Amino acid sequence: MTGRVIVITSGKGGVGKTTTSANIGTALAKEGYKVVLIDTDLGLRNLDLLLGLENRIVYTIVDVIEERCKLRQALVKDKKNPNLQLLAAAQTRDKSAVNADQLREICEKLKEENDFVLVDCPAGIEQGFQNAVAGASEAIVVTTPEMSAIRDADRIVGLLGPKEEIESCKLIINRVRPSLIKSNEMMSVEDVLGILEIPLVGVIPEDTGIITSTNKGEPIVNDEEALAGKAYRNVAQRILGEEVPFLDLDEPKGFVAKIKNAFAKWKAKV
Amino acid sequence: MGLFTDIYNTVAKFFRQQDEAVIGEESKSVATNRLKLVLMQDRTNLTPRVLEQMRGELVDLLSKYLEMDKELLELNFEQEGDQVALMLSIPVIRAKDEDEIEEALNKANSEESFEEEVSEETESKEESCEDTECSSAEECSEEEPKPKKKRSKKVSTPEGLEGNSEEHHEEENICENTEV
Repeated sequence: MTGRVIVITSGKGGVGKTTTSANIGTALAKEGYKVVLIDTDLGLRNLDLLLGLENRIVYTIVDVIEERCKLRQALVKDKKNPNLQLLAAAQTRDKSAVNADQLREICEKLKEENDFVLVDCPAGIEQGFQNAVAGASEAIVVTTPEMSAIRDADRIVGLLGPKEEIESCKLIINRVRPSLIKSNEMMSVEDVLGILEIPLVGVIPEDTGIITSTNKGEPIVNDEEALAGKAYRNVAQRILGEEVPFLDLDEPKGFVAKIKNAFAKWKAKV
Repeated sequence: MGLFTDIYNTVAKFFRQQDEAVIGEESKSVATNRLKLVLMQDRTNLTPRVLEQMRGELVDLLSKYLEMDKELLELNFEQEGDQVALMLSIPVIRAKDEDEIEEALNKANSEESFEEEVSEETESKEESCEDTECSSAEECSEEEPKPKKKRSKKVSTPEGLEGNSEEHHEEENICENTEV
């Protein structure tokens, strides 16, 4: 088996790299694929928290590299889905504890036994970024419809471009707020795409459910109702090669508006 | 009155405001508790397993001298600048009298020498499990003493916890639970 190694990166911090990694990983595992999530944010690990695995971590990626344990020992199985495993970052070390070659080697080993290896990249463009990208052949750039995030994403796209190993580089636009776009207070998906010019793989709406899901350590893809969860499940489908239409985020939320909307849809069908 | 509350609840439920408030509250406290634990691990560089072990051994140690509410024992690390302080909060039910303390100490001592001789084999020792001699808050119920694995005696010394190292030495004398 030769799995796909995908790095999830953004440049800017706080745009949702880790949330995206946790959710795509969980969604792919739910589809029955074997997935390993690697947290490469040494010193600032958080992927364990989003997955609710923080109390199960015994060994970290640094322990693997410094040969205090076998790679297999350091993989923490997800509570719900044994297809999903986490290789946690060390919390007490900094980015210099690991180099690109070591990460590449770990990715090589992991992809032999897994369908997907998702690498959660730290913010920034320094060593941590270079390490995370080293073993990957695909990249997903996460941004939000904000100037600073888009600018940083553009920088990342520019840095990934010359790397021969990276065969594809796709975009996720996170925390989209349709109401703001409607009132022209936020850049639309088209606006962002016009600037970044890389293929789109997902549009994730701002969803307060993300807060609750983070609190509980349960990725939102497990919530069948949540719109953001659905959006992430769609991303997983697209990664698997399915053609899935992008969610219609304009759907009104109110009760009356929902009826109106349903009526309009029904009318359109007839 | 009851009718009104019923109606109010039904209406509130319909609008899901109440539900959301409840869910929000729940997940907030879940988050706070998870975060506390994780920060404790981060600040001390101790793994969850070692922390649990340390907690258990602290309970053992203190049980020799005090009768306390083990369920409510709180172990926290607080950070101020470079310094980490261990904060231990234990609801004390009563202090033990001298005889009880002596008994507990003797028991611990005999077990220590006993441990040196026999390493891991389970030996039957017929003693009733007094709640004062429980070695772990969770696992010991007063009625039924359970066979219990010996705790490993080594506690890895936490980095950045200079101030608390004495406590670790003292913890080496482990008061064991009754073994059947």
